Amino acid sequence: MKTMKIFALAATTFIFAGGSAFAASVVNRDSEPQTIVVTEGGSQSEIVVGAGETIEFCAAGCFVTMPNGDREVLTGSETVEISEGRGRVR
Amino acid sequence: MLAAQAWLRQCSLIKADLRLRMILKRLLDMLLTFRALPVVLCLVFQLASLAPALAQGPENFLTTQREKLSEIEATVDGLEQEIDDQATDDGELVSVRVELEKLAREVFDASLAFRPRLSEINTRLEQLGEPRKEGEPAEPEEVTRERTRLLDEKASFNVLIGDAERLSVRINSVVDGIAELRRDLFTRTLSRRYDVSAALSADVAGEFAQEVGRVYQRVSAWLSFVFKYRLKSLLLATTLATIAALTLLFGGRRLFGDFVEPDPTEAEPTYLSRLSVGLFSTLIPSLSIGVFLASTYYFLDYFSLLRTDIQPLLWSLFSVIILVYFVYRLARAILAPRRPNWRLLPVRSQAAQWLLVLAVVTAIATGFDYFMDQVYSLFGSQLSLTVATSLVATVIVGLLIMAIGGVSPLDDEEGNPKPWPLKFRYLLFALGAAIIIAAMLGYIGFARFLSQQAVVTGAIIATMYIGFLTAGAITSEGAFANSWLARRLERYTAFDETALDQLGLVTGMLINMIVILIGVPLILLQWGFRWADLTAWSYRIAGRIQVGSLSFSIVGILTGILVFVIGYFVTRWFQSWLDGKVMARSRMDSGVRNSIRTGIGYVGLVIAALIGISAAGINLSNLALVAGALSLGIGFGLQNIVSNFVSGLILLAERPFKAGDWIVAGGVSGTVKKISVRATEIETFQRQSVILPNSELINAAVGNWTHRNKLGRMEIPIGVAYGSDVRRVHEILLEIARSHPLVLKNPEPFVLFAGFGDSSLDFEIRVYLSDILMQLNVQNDIRFAIVDAFEAEGIEIPFPQRDIHVRSGLFRAQESDETPNEEELADGVEDEQGDLPAGKRRRRRKVDPE
Repeated sequence: MKTMKIFALAATTFIFAGGSAFAASVVNRDSEPQTIVVTEGGSQSEIVVGAGETIEFCAAGCFVTMPNGDREVLTGSETVEISEGRGRVR
Repeated sequence: MLAAQAWLRQCSLIKADLRLRMILKRLLDMLLTFRALPVVLCLVFQLASLAPALAQGPENFLTTQREKLSEIEATVDGLEQEIDDQATDDGELVSVRVELEKLAREVFDASLAFRPRLSEINTRLEQLGEPRKEGEPAEPEEVTRERTRLLDEKASFNVLIGDAERLSVRINSVVDGIAELRRDLFTRTLSRRYDVSAALSADVAGEFAQEVGRVYQRVSAWLSFVFKYRLKSLLLATTLATIAALTLLFGGRRLFGDFVEPDPTEAEPTYLSRLSVGLFSTLIPSLSIGVFLASTYYFLDYFSLLRTDIQPLLWSLFSVIILVYFVYRLARAILAPRRPNWRLLPVRSQAAQWLLVLAVVTAIATGFDYFMDQVYSLFGSQLSLTVATSLVATVIVGLLIMAIGGVSPLDDEEGNPKPWPLKFRYLLFALGAAIIIAAMLGYIGFARFLSQQAVVTGAIIATMYIGFLTAGAITSEGAFANSWLARRLERYTAFDETALDQLGLVTGMLINMIVILIGVPLILLQWGFRWADLTAWSYRIAGRIQVGSLSFSIVGILTGILVFVIGYFVTRWFQSWLDGKVMARSRMDSGVRNSIRTGIGYVGLVIAALIGISAAGINLSNLALVAGALSLGIGFGLQNIVSNFVSGLILLAERPFKAGDWIVAGGVSGTVKKISVRATEIETFQRQSVILPNSELINAAVGNWTHRNKLGRMEIPIGVAYGSDVRRVHEILLEIARSHPLVLKNPEPFVLFAGFGDSSLDFEIRVYLSDILMQLNVQNDIRFAIVDAFEAEGIEIPFPQRDIHVRSGLFRAQESDETPNEEELADGVEDEQGDLPAGKRRRRRKVDPE
């Protein structure tokens, strides 16, 4: 009985913890850092991606402005590749 | 508007197409091992899905999207206005929030629709390359024109997505605002202080009577209207509702009959049966009442019998009735004042009666307060009246809770009344005191919140607790197997005791899950969470989870497991149908039937697993990677297993033997019981089960006595004494062989004069039997017959004999008169086979019977 309850609790925690581990990622292939603007929910933030770096962001859908001014919409499962300031969604 | 609708339809078409494409892709991946074809086909599908979006042209598409966004913006404006108007109504705020969240998703989807075109433009721009710089040779006019056109298009897309982004931010900030408003609203309700002294003036009583009179007037006016003009509809509505409630009530009683009413003749009911009676006698009647009232309300509404002033009145009246009835049933189930042996709580009978009354009165007081609040807000009554009613009701509830704490319901060692355990008593006193003090100080909202929570949440938690206890009791060993349901199951199904016990474990877990799934949302709803919050959470739970490159969802996995289980049972059913109905009629060999049956079982299992994995949303191409890694492992470690597995498949296909055959393999002789995929079970004639790996049966020689048919030859050797009439013996033996009913006439029995033995003339009877498995019986019969016949004919069956010639010891006696000693005598014995070892020689010495 007790183990069953502990199991249920652990399962619930896993579900909620697992739910947040769901994100899009951006990788910068350029030799210099690039900045993207991410609007998620009601907040807008700038993310600086270092050269060759990969960053996870955007848990559940967001608007992104690429370094060259292009705008994109992400559902939260894509990988964005930045090369020469241009963003490419994969 | 029309354009927007058309766009929506198109969008859903694209989505459906996407889903179809995913499924087809998975199927193709599954079926085709070489990769080029699926990729090509997928490209075709992708293009096919893009076609409708682009068919209307970029300009047109842009316009429809723009219109869509501006429409959403207008809706948001309207909703914002609504928020300002309805800032004090929590329910309204929640529904506005739900609407806004939906709009936010729409904005998002609208922006997402640009992506295919945008990536197309980007690719084309990359193909065109950078514009030529000064000094470089000029590019063709056409290229420059196209680049400009594409850049223009992209810019207009970017502008629109930017607008969508701003709109999304705005919607989200409004949603945040709503959350803040609701928090404020809740705190204000709880912390607002009313003037109690004004509420306690003498006028209030008069006002109260006046309000009650107004309610009476309204209701009677409505009733007389309904009776006069809409009697038919009223009757129909009530009848339909009654039917619905009765169905549930009688259905529940039929199913859980023994649980709803405790059996008065039962002197000592088990803990489990007491708990289940407690649970079901609370839930089923309460649910029936709930269904009756809810369906009455629904049908009255459906036949438009409800006027706007009657509607909220009826709604709150029905809620109060359900609450009070539920508390009554629950308290009765736990306390069982008239049936001490069915009582769940070990309290004294008198105290049980008293506690039941207190609990029900508390529920009635809370319900009355709630109902009057609805009445006042409907008629726009004076605030002092609301305050006065709530004050009285909450103080009564507080006093009642304290009274419950003051009862001495338990027995001490000498059988005298004893109060509740200290902590519980203090908890009740503190709760009651808090309600009374809050009400007296004018914090009516807080007092009311406390008293309502004490009644409703308390009732729900008590029910949940009974549910948990029931689950625990069912899970305990042997409890379920002895229950009424299990006895019934035992009668109608093939479950044995162990299976029932395991079923009890599963039932316990299921009850736990159901209790949590129903109870927790109910409590959360009580604490100010809204239905929309709960559904949002459940969506989140149902959403996808990403682990590395593998993404799955809990619901998806559960679906996958369910699909697999269904597939498994369908396979089993198909197997037995094919075996029992189709193959049994075709007079097929039992071995073939068995092979087909087993083969179908494995194929069905694999298909069910594949469909299950697919339904779980796990991409099969991910598994291909795992399979690739596995195949390396197979090369080394799993070699044996795989070789056995493949051998098993070959055995099923080639069928060198089948279940029931008598085979000789690897030093084992016996009947084949079962051919599995890894090993074959052989039962020797001593009833020992030998599990032989299939690879041994494939790689080594296997003797099968019953391969094509059961025909077989057996031999019976027999010897007759030297000097017998051999021709007569031959005749007799042949006669015996021929006359046995199981011996085949063709091939004919044969008697072989096998040789001249040491002490006998050796014959051998060779007969063919249609069923070699009968050979032991036949051997017995023939041997008996031979003995009888030889006896009658006076033919002797000899045993090995030896002539012993004793060279007489006379001449030794002549030499000396001494008697020869043992050793000398032995030396003097001359054996016909003098080269035998000494030990054997002595044993074989035997007196000639003649």
